[in-house]
Order: sequence, then C-alpha cells, then structure tokens
Amino acid sequence: MTLRTYIIRRSIVIIPTFFFISLIIFTLLHLAPGDPLRGVTFGRSKIDPEMLEELRSRWGLDQPIPVQYFIWVGRFLQGDLGYSFHNQRPVSALISERITPTLELMLAAEVLSVAIAVILGVIAAVKHYSISDALASLGALVGYSTPNFWIALMAILVFALQLRWFPTSGTITLGITFSSPFHALLDHLEHLVLPVSILVLGWTAYLFRMVRSSMLEVLGQDYITTARAKGLRERVVIYKHALRNALLPVITYEGISIGYLFGGAATIEYIFAWPGLGQFMVDYANYRDYPTLMGLSMIIAIMVLLANLSADIAYAIADPRIRYE
Amino acid sequence: MKSRSQAEEEKKTKVYKPSRATQLFDVWRKLKKSKMALAGFGIVLFMTLAALFAPVIAPYDPGWMGSARLAPSPVHLFGTDASGRDLLTLVIYGARISLYVGLAAVMLEMFIGLVVGMVAGYFGGKIDEILMRITDVILTLPMLMLLIVAVAMFEVRSIHLIVLVMGVFGWPEMARYVRSEFLTLRETTFVEAATSMGASSWRIILRHILPNALSIIIVIATMDIPWYIFYEATLTFLGFGDLSSPSWGVLLERGYDFAAYQWWIITFPGLALFFTSLGFNLFGDGLRDALDVKMRE
Repeated sequence: MTLRTYIIRRSIVIIPTFFFISLIIFTLLHLAPGDPLRGVTFGRSKIDPEMLEELRSRWGLDQPIPVQYFIWVGRFLQGDLGYSFHNQRPVSALISERITPTLELMLAAEVLSVAIAVILGVIAAVKHYSISDALASLGALVGYSTPNFWIALMAILVFALQLRWFPTSGTITLGITFSSPFHALLDHLEHLVLPVSILVLGWTAYLFRMVRSSMLEVLGQDYITTARAKGLRERVVIYKHALRNALLPVITYEGISIGYLFGGAATIEYIFAWPGLGQFMVDYANYRDYPTLMGLSMIIAIMVLLANLSADIAYAIADPRIRYE
Repeated sequence: MKSRSQAEEEKKTKVYKPSRATQLFDVWRKLKKSKMALAGFGIVLFMTLAALFAPVIAPYDPGWMGSARLAPSPVHLFGTDASGRDLLTLVIYGARISLYVGLAAVMLEMFIGLVVGMVAGYFGGKIDEILMRITDVILTLPMLMLLIVAVAMFEVRSIHLIVLVMGVFGWPEMARYVRSEFLTLRETTFVEAATSMGASSWRIILRHILPNALSIIIVIATMDIPWYIFYEATLTFLGFGDLSSPSWGVLLERGYDFAAYQWWIITFPGLALFFTSLGFNLFGDGLRDALDVKMRE
C-alpha cells in the first residue's frame, strides 16, 4: 500500500465514525426527560405559550426524536448547525467566535509540554536510576495525581490574589488603553501564563512517562548496540537513532489524547474566564441549549478526529511498516 | 502399560501448582520490596478506613454547625466552612462519596470492558472488527464533554447517574487491553490443550484465559479509580454535580467563593483528592511491577 492509498483509506473511515459520534451525542442530549424548550424559557419569567408552540413547529421539535435526528443530519450536511435556543443566533457563528482562544490555549500548552516532556524524558531514560531520573519521575507522579482544576484554584489564590504576579482571569486587562500593540501583547501574554502553566503541568507529567518508558525500551534494542559498536558518538546514537524511534508511540498517544487535553482546557477556561469553547460549553449546558451543544460537540469531535488522522499519517510517514498492515 | 522411565518422566514433569493464597502472598512479597508501592497501599487503606468508619473517627456530626469560616485550630483541625460546619468532618464523610464514585465507576468499566474485550479477543473476525471500531470511536470522545452533555440535561442529577455515564463511556481502554491479552493467550499451548480436550468456548475464556489476564485488569482498574474521582469532582465544580452527595468536589464547589479569604476551605478537600489519587497511582505502579504487567505496546 502506498502512502497515498493509506491516507485516502484512513480518511474515508472518518465519515462513518463521524455519524456514529453524532448519533451518540444526539442520544445523550435527548436522554433526559423534559421539554427541550426549557432553554428558551430559561431565565425569562413570562413567555407567550403561542410563541412557544410556533418555535416548536419551526424548529421541528414536534417531530419524533429519530426524525429530528435526520433533520439535524440533513441540515448539517448543508453546513447549517441550527440556531441557539438561548439567543437565537446561528450556532456556527457562536462557535467561530469562541474557537480561537481555545486553539491558542491548547496549542501553547501542547508545544510547551511536548518540548519539556521530550527533554526530561530523554534525560531520565539516558540517566536511568540517577537522581535526576528519580526526581523527574517523582515530579511526574505528583503532576498527574493533582486535580487540574484544584491546582488552578490554588494558583489563583497564591499567584494572582496573594502575590499579584498575574491577573486572575480573562485574556486582556479591560478598561485601559495600551500605548502600543507590543504592550497589548505583553498584557495578553501575562494573562496566558497561569492557564497555560496549569495545563502544561498535568500534560507534561503524562507525556514524560510515555517518552521515558518508550526511550528506555528503545535504548535496550540491538540496533542501538550496533550504532554504538560502529563508534558513533553517544549524542548521535541517542538523538538520531533512539529518539526518532522512541517518539513513534508518543505520536499516536498525542492523537488519541487530544480529547483529554480538550477536557482539561475546558475546565481551565471556566476557572480563568477564558472566552473559549470550554467556557462556552459550560454556559450553554446550563441554558440546556440543545442545538448549540449538539453543534459544539460535533465541532469538538471533528477536531479530535482530525488530530487522530494527522497522528496516524505522521506515524505512517515515520514508520513505513504500518502501511502494510 | 507404562515403562519405568515413562513413570519417572511423569514424576519429573508434574506441574507445581501454587494455591491462590500462595500467589497472593507472592504478590505481597514483591509489593513489600517497593517503598513507593507500600506508601500507596498505606494511603489507599487509610482513606478506605476513614470512609468506612467515618461516624467513629469524625470529630463532629456532619450536620453540626458552629461559627462559620474559622481558621484551622486544635478545635477544628481543618477549620470550618462557610456555614460553620467542621471541615475535617466533611472531608472524612466526603471520602465515602468520592471513593464510592471511583469504585463503582471502575466496576462498571471492568464489567463492560471485560465482556467486550473477551468477545473481541477470543472470537476475532467480524465481531472483533465491529467491537473495536466502536471502542476506538468512544475512546476519542472527551469524557468531560460526554459527562456535561449527558448530565446537564437532567433536572435532578444524582451521583449514580454520573457514575453510570462514566462507566458507560470509560471502558474502551480496558477493553483494548483485555482484547490484546486474549489475542496472545488464545494462541498458547494450554488453550490448545483445553480445546483438544473438548472444553467449551466459555469454559476456556473463563477458566483458562481470564485468570491469566487478571493481572493487567487489576492494574488498570487501580489506576483508573482516581480518574473517575477527578471527573466527578471536576463535573461538580463546573456546576453539574449532585450537590446532595457531599463529595470532595462538592466541598470545592461550595468553598470556591470564599477561597480568596479562607484558604483552608478549598485547600483541604483538594489535598484529600490529591493524596487519594497519589495513593492509587503509587499502588497501581507497584502492582504493575509486582505482577509483571507490560502496559502499552
């Protein structure tokens, strides 16, 4: 199988997967008893019952639930995610307003944690049983035993409220005019420090363990002995021969766990009032806004599926054996 | 008729079969060697006992109310919360709920993961393909998103509902490990022997393969318990929990508003979460080494 056929085949699989996911989410949303229009009446004291009936028929809520699902699929295929029950705005517009801050947060956390985890993982594996290995492993253990949202709260308490080093929430300081775009950027970066650090803390702990154990395994292989026997410098053996192979399982893991990272980011967004998809999801789940939650879940699912796909493709490029399976 | 040499041969190859108790003792002996694993076991045991004997060891009644927001002191070791209840008492009683969440969700995960993994790994073929496709799809979905989507729509959110949703979506990793164990074990000579002696599929699965796959199942289950406790706490903190079951997450959610001035209100329930998780992780790591389980390919 060539790389191209592999990519095409792997991409086609996404389509049925996507519809299977949409079915799961749709079912989950409709599992709870109660009127779906609760989202519309939420927080409003009086609403004309006639208007509610009109909304019901306009949004197809008078149809049986399976029919509603197919209506959703039909509209989705035309690129229509429907309208929010809460504020009647198009769901796609609501999502596109919120997607950039989330991507920024996740990307920053991802890049930093991969860099830190790979460096520490290699050091720990190469100096197996050394003090630095023990310290890094202990740090990782503490890192992933700590509840993410709790450490975020504690960080706000200490670094934002007590020491006043960083702002408590938001993406930029409100109510001041910045003398230059540079100052605005600086202010934004200040807001980024705490949420990104918390995400990096948890995420690095996981990746570090992966890199370390994968690296340890590779370092025990025969071809490493061969490379050393050839008289290659240790640096070349470790970075060129060992690390490249050790990173293979890490690539797959990255792809699978992007959803997990999103979950972490959602909580952090909520705590730091970061105007991204996670905070958005919590708000609109409180409004019980079905179309928004459905659309948002599917956008997240697409992001996760694409991350998986790119991880698989990256793996296939890095390791040609996979294509023949 | 047996010749003498044949009889001798039989005597030599007579299999030594250790009893269950001996096997357990063996695991314990290996576990004992690791200080980390012992520490983990100690923490887990401590938390479990605290949960079980909460009424005996808690200094106050969970409903008792005194002065609100008192700092930690010898009278109230963890201080009091916003409504004047003793925080140490609440944390001890919270262990009951949080440990229940972790254990119950893991039980569900084990049950579904075992059935799916066994069927897929043993029978293979078409059914394996279908089951693994479903497993992969569910594995990619963020648990927190599923929890929010499923639980937020309910007017009354009971703790059991949260446990149910977590278990229903938490099994894929378990299923994958069980499947790969079964794939390997099904090719072994002892399974071949059992098949040739006419043992039924279910007998082979339950009597011959499952006991050999138990190690990895136990290790994964141990390490997944803190996850479920975390997810429940996070969900509760985000406002979608069951406030009538005062888990550690509920304490954090209620205490958040006062945290800026009364640090202890969120510090102690969080530490309880941290130490419980640390305990299970250390214990899980130790079990993995003692049972000689290979995780990840």
